[in-house]
Amino acid sequence: MSDLGPDSPLTLPGFFDALADETLLGGVCGDCGQVLYPPRPACYACGSRAVEAEPQSKKGTVYSYTAVHAAPPALEAEAPYTIAVVELEDGGRLTGRVDAPYEAVDIGDPVRLRVREPTDAERSIALSYEEDWPLHEFVPE
Amino acid sequence: MRKPVIAGVGASSVGRTELPGRDLFSIAVEEAFAELPAPAELVEAVYVGNQSEQYEHQIMHGTLLAEWAGLRHVPAERVEGCAAAGALALRHAVKDVRSGEHDAVLACGVEKMTAGGTGGATDALSAAFDRAIEQRSGVTAPSQYALLAQRYLHETDATERDLARIAVKNHRNAAANPRAQFSEEIDIETVLESPPVAPPLKLYDCAPVGDAAAAVLVTTPDIAAEFDVPTVAVPGSGASANNIAVAERNMTDIAGARIAAETAYGQAGVEAADVDVAEVHDAFTVSEALLSEAVGFAPAGLGYQSALPPGERDDGWTDVRVSTSGGLKARGHPIGATGLLQAIEGYEQLTGAAGDRAVDGAETALLVNEGGVADAVTVAHVLTAEVAR
Repeated sequence: MSDLGPDSPLTLPGFFDALADETLLGGVCGDCGQVLYPPRPACYACGSRAVEAEPQSKKGTVYSYTAVHAAPPALEAEAPYTIAVVELEDGGRLTGRVDAPYEAVDIGDPVRLRVREPTDAERSIALSYEEDWPLHEFVPE
Repeated sequence: MRKPVIAGVGASSVGRTELPGRDLFSIAVEEAFAELPAPAELVEAVYVGNQSEQYEHQIMHGTLLAEWAGLRHVPAERVEGCAAAGALALRHAVKDVRSGEHDAVLACGVEKMTAGGTGGATDALSAAFDRAIEQRSGVTAPSQYALLAQRYLHETDATERDLARIAVKNHRNAAANPRAQFSEEIDIETVLESPPVAPPLKLYDCAPVGDAAAAVLVTTPDIAAEFDVPTVAVPGSGASANNIAVAERNMTDIAGARIAAETAYGQAGVEAADVDVAEVHDAFTVSEALLSEAVGFAPAGLGYQSALPPGERDDGWTDVRVSTSGGLKARGHPIGATGLLQAIEGYEQLTGAAGDRAVDGAETALLVNEGGVADAVTVAHVLTAEVAR
């Protein structure tokens, strides 16, 4: 029997359950050290399947960023909103919203990951299995 | 191994149209087979590049379009890789003819992007990004490419004005292409003053939404020789998938495109410097800069000079002409059809059918078609004018 059920941190339900409890899990490759978001059973960098999910620092720096002016229909009322790729302190990079206007963000800025409930608009486009999943976003430090 | 050739090409107009996808396909087939027997007398298999059933609420495009071409009881299927679907269809056709599985295969692509308005297209395209992290964060196609552009402008000497020059050049090329969605030239200020879509990308940095179908017949040199049609060889075909999430990739060294192009070059026995004309996946201006570097035309950080004539580029650049069709930016980007429209431009450049935009003496073309954002999947083909029997 596979261990990859909904309680496994190497599946999406396991990752989002932990995130709902304020824990950011990264997959960490036992062979090459690559950090994977979200965690998964195999490492893209080296192909190893010796991946373990481990809690990661929520601190990072902005690697790249933009703002969405033309949003998907369900999120139009929220536009413009800022999106960034963040390089996390313990390794790996993760895309997410930034709770700051585009003009206030720059490459290299320190940020911290925060967990929040989905908005009504976000819930309206959630799939059935996503309804209880929290959202992550980044806050300038 | 047999050497596949392209022996017929056709396309509908590109842009906003009242015709559904299947009717656009009928127009493409009519042109592709104008000098050939009917598809049913030649074609043994059909591949259809198609991004999304969201536009027309239709899957089963293999069955549907085979039937609309007059074919039944042949293998026919849709292939999907977002905007690389068209080149994936071409690649399957090339592989079938190479291997001897089939003697003649129809590679086609269709997309009816305008069916759901701009919001419908934005939504359908967002399905190409990682659902768990990226889509739920509200990313869009322009915002994904903007992350690359922001990083490119940070790491290189390129400016927003340099990227604007790529849009200006591609509109100029499109003005000489009767197949293009846009026929009007633009200037740099028009690009720079256009509304922000996802900064640093502005409206005129982005390829438009549009409808089209395109069809390409891939067959053997011997079969093609039975008919009085120009042919080009397809001696190289490469493909490569990379991470689905932009964040996990190298955002300025487009590895998937480099690998796909090197595979195609290797099969064809050519080098980047041999390429005379290239259609690269300029869905956004920055893409043309990044891809020019990835496929070996330009040194790292100088890809944005694709907008300049060969004599004005820095040392290390090849003499290639990029996006002679007008590219995705101005010829148009009807997602599933784009890879085949790139092949049609290569075919026309190498058979002397490119009219006012012809590149003198062009013998080798590179086609680079991407899906997802940047190199989530890349397909590269080399076309050559010389057809070896």
